[in-house]
Amino acid sequence: MSYLRLDGLARRYGETLAVDRVTLDIEQGEMIVLLGPSGCGKTTTLRMIAGFVDASAGRIVLEDREIGQLPPHRRDMGMVFQNYALFPHLAVARNVAFGLEMRTMTRAEREARVAEMLRLVKLDHLAARLPRQLSGGQQQRVAIARALAIHPKVLLLDEPLSNLDAELRQDVAREIRLLQRDRKLTTIMVTHDQQEAMAMADRLVVMRDGRVQQVGRQEDLYERPATPFVARFIGNSNIVSGTHTGGRLVVEGGSAITLAGAYAGDGPATLAVRPERITLAPPAGQAQAHGTVLLSSYMGAMVEHVVALNPTTQIIARAPSSGPAATQRFAEGESVSMMWPASSETLFDSSNHLVPNRTDAPRSNERISSHA
Amino acid sequence: MSAADIYRPSLGERAGEGAMTLLLVLSCAAIFLPLILTFYLSAFDEQMIVFPPRGYTLAWYSQIQAKFGAAIWTSLRIALAAVALSLLVGIPAGIGLQRYRFRGRDALSTFLLSPLTVPGIAIGLAIYVLAIWVEENTGVTLAGSLRLLILAHVLICMPWVVRLCLAGLSNHERTTEEAAASLGANPLMVIWRVTLPAMRPGIIAGALFAFIISFENLEINLFLVAPGMNTLSVAVLQYLGYHIDPLVAAVAVVQIVVVGAALMLLDRFVRIGQAIR
Amino acid sequence: MMKRSDTLAASSFLGPATCVVMLVLIAPLVLLARYSLNRFDPTELMIEATTGANYARFFSEAFYWEVMRTTIQVALLVTALCLLLGLPLAWRLSRMTSRWKSPLLLLIILPLFVSSTVRTVGWMILFAKSGVMDTTAATLFGRHIDLMFTPTAVVIGTLSVNLPFMVLTLQTVFDGIDHRLSEAASGLGAPPARAFLRIIWPLALPGVGIAAILCFILGMNAYATPVLLGGPRFQMMAPLLFWEFNTNSNWPFSAALAFILMGTTLLLTTLANTVIPRRYRA
Repeated sequence: MSYLRLDGLARRYGETLAVDRVTLDIEQGEMIVLLGPSGCGKTTTLRMIAGFVDASAGRIVLEDREIGQLPPHRRDMGMVFQNYALFPHLAVARNVAFGLEMRTMTRAEREARVAEMLRLVKLDHLAARLPRQLSGGQQQRVAIARALAIHPKVLLLDEPLSNLDAELRQDVAREIRLLQRDRKLTTIMVTHDQQEAMAMADRLVVMRDGRVQQVGRQEDLYERPATPFVARFIGNSNIVSGTHTGGRLVVEGGSAITLAGAYAGDGPATLAVRPERITLAPPAGQAQAHGTVLLSSYMGAMVEHVVALNPTTQIIARAPSSGPAATQRFAEGESVSMMWPASSETLFDSSNHLVPNRTDAPRSNERISSHA
Repeated sequence: MSAADIYRPSLGERAGEGAMTLLLVLSCAAIFLPLILTFYLSAFDEQMIVFPPRGYTLAWYSQIQAKFGAAIWTSLRIALAAVALSLLVGIPAGIGLQRYRFRGRDALSTFLLSPLTVPGIAIGLAIYVLAIWVEENTGVTLAGSLRLLILAHVLICMPWVVRLCLAGLSNHERTTEEAAASLGANPLMVIWRVTLPAMRPGIIAGALFAFIISFENLEINLFLVAPGMNTLSVAVLQYLGYHIDPLVAAVAVVQIVVVGAALMLLDRFVRIGQAIR
Repeated sequence: MMKRSDTLAASSFLGPATCVVMLVLIAPLVLLARYSLNRFDPTELMIEATTGANYARFFSEAFYWEVMRTTIQVALLVTALCLLLGLPLAWRLSRMTSRWKSPLLLLIILPLFVSSTVRTVGWMILFAKSGVMDTTAATLFGRHIDLMFTPTAVVIGTLSVNLPFMVLTLQTVFDGIDHRLSEAASGLGAPPARAFLRIIWPLALPGVGIAAILCFILGMNAYATPVLLGGPRFQMMAPLLFWEFNTNSNWPFSAALAFILMGTTLLLTTLANTVIPRRYRA
């Protein structure tokens, strides 16, 4: 059995289900990121694991022991709060020592552990400061040291980077990831930031409206999104709805998109295509779609074209601005054709279930280059 | 899963819980017991407090009008006038304190709220002696007049209006006023069309607070009522000096109900807990 | 620095309110201060003078000392009891998240706005001879309990009047403390009581101090409760002041009493303020 198991975990607030039967197996030393927009239930799930919120249904099993009935102070979870929740009246060292003071431990042991933790987060020189005398980044490191000091069974991170400056965020994300891997910390992190999640996770859990949409590694989610929501949330796919008929998707406004793959079942459908997998070319017969360039923006490494199929439907294409795969630039108002490989499109039926590609082309990353 | 996995609070924790519960019960009793007893007594079919009573009646409520009607009317008139005047004075003061940053602003705000910190008994005595002094020196009779009572009540009501207006404006964005000005509204128009509407909840709260404060006042009234003119609070106190009977409990119940209704109304406009701080 | 037009506008906004406080509070208090230096004659009443005799009289006669002592004792006892009873309730209320929170708060605020006279009625019913408590005790234990007109009754009555105020103030103090701090403490292994004592209590202390001081001031100035529940023989400062004014017509002495009461309260609260540690301010 897995190290930590969430089994049908649910939380009801009055009429609404904030978390709807979340089941998840987490291995020891794994970094799991719960990802989703605000209100998707990710934080409530984390708080249920920590014991701050009682589950309405379901079980939390840690090392084969059900812990769902234990109060937070008996759970051995190290939580890092979004606002850090440092004790404002205690110096840094006392903050870190707090959890140890709650356990039987000799003074020498405790002091050694505090010193070790402060060294770990490179704050040993600030041990005597009060939290308000520290910068945001330093406060965050104190919060991590405090949570790690108790040698938690699971480390819980609630939006740990959201209160940091943009430039600091990536560095801290990397530091946390390295620390987590080196010390083999079983970690559950909550975030709404897709980039952050991609950068830090072993596996991601995408949530929406209290439900798990998809669980998987970065590649799984990016290449094989299970729902249009995941396709849009991970990597901002173009999402176009229309009617699937005879290998074509007729979209609102009457334009048609020629699907690159072959799919069974006609009727209402939703297409997801990655902007960076779309190739633009001067008007040609063999293409997935035709349109007029509405906006062309140079964004440094990338060039972004907004192409209008008709007045109501737009598709965004993104391509490198230089290098072997550099795109041709088109002026606003020019007619263009759009092409993409079958491996880069995903079709969903009217109930948002994936429709498999019958040609079953191998979906691998190498194919991208052949279309550049 | 073994039985040891189920969380059991320790003896100490359970004792602590017990002590907590006891204190909570005592605390609620201290606050609510007198109110509940007042409701209870007001329905006694007895001339005095005899417990348990021989029966229950609502007849006492019909006697309120005869015994306390005049006092209630006086209290109401004073309260309404005091509310109107304290709004007139307090709202601009609230706007002024919120809008202008000047040296001594904090001192002025403390000054305007100071009537809240001086004991009512001292305010009553001081206003009374000044009224007599004015009468001796100018011949204008103030003491015992309704006008003086109203003025004194404005003094204790106004700080609440100022305070609640300030609280109501704390989330107000000055930029909306700037927007109105840039759209062509003159300063008075800005206040009328932007600032005052933004203050509306604070103003309503201030008015209701002021009303309750005035209606319930005892200490100041003690000094300023004239013989033959009684406010409700003074009348109740004097009545209680001689007898406690279901009638006075019935009057108390009416007051509790009126105040309760005012508070329920108020609760729709502001979070009262925040306002009274 | 403000522009001239702003100065003008600010004065017209703030002028009327300032005038009200000047004319209706400051001017009367100044005159009262002056009167407190006058002499009193039983037949001619107040005689113009500049004497400290009224103050000297208060401080030289044991009776008045006794009244002041009683007042301070009652106020202190009431404050201590209010803290003891108010803290658990305020804490519970502050950590409540259910939809009952705001109706409950409203219920606690309600008595705050019912005059102390009216609220004392309830206690009179409880304490009176053949009242609820007396009869219950007589039936259950065969003994009569007559609490009416005792210091205990006054303390209970004043406690009841001040407690909602204390609960409400403490509740806002606790509300001001991030509840994630107690979560953090319990996540680190602190049982609820320890989390409260180690984290919440030190942070709440300054606010608790202020609440206690306000409660103490209310106790010092109490009028209706001592009069109604203490009876004619029980004396506290506010009733004494009114009695000197109303029955003895001794204006100079009641004026002096007013300032002695305010002065003592101010002195004690300043003293308390210096004792409250400020280092915990977040």
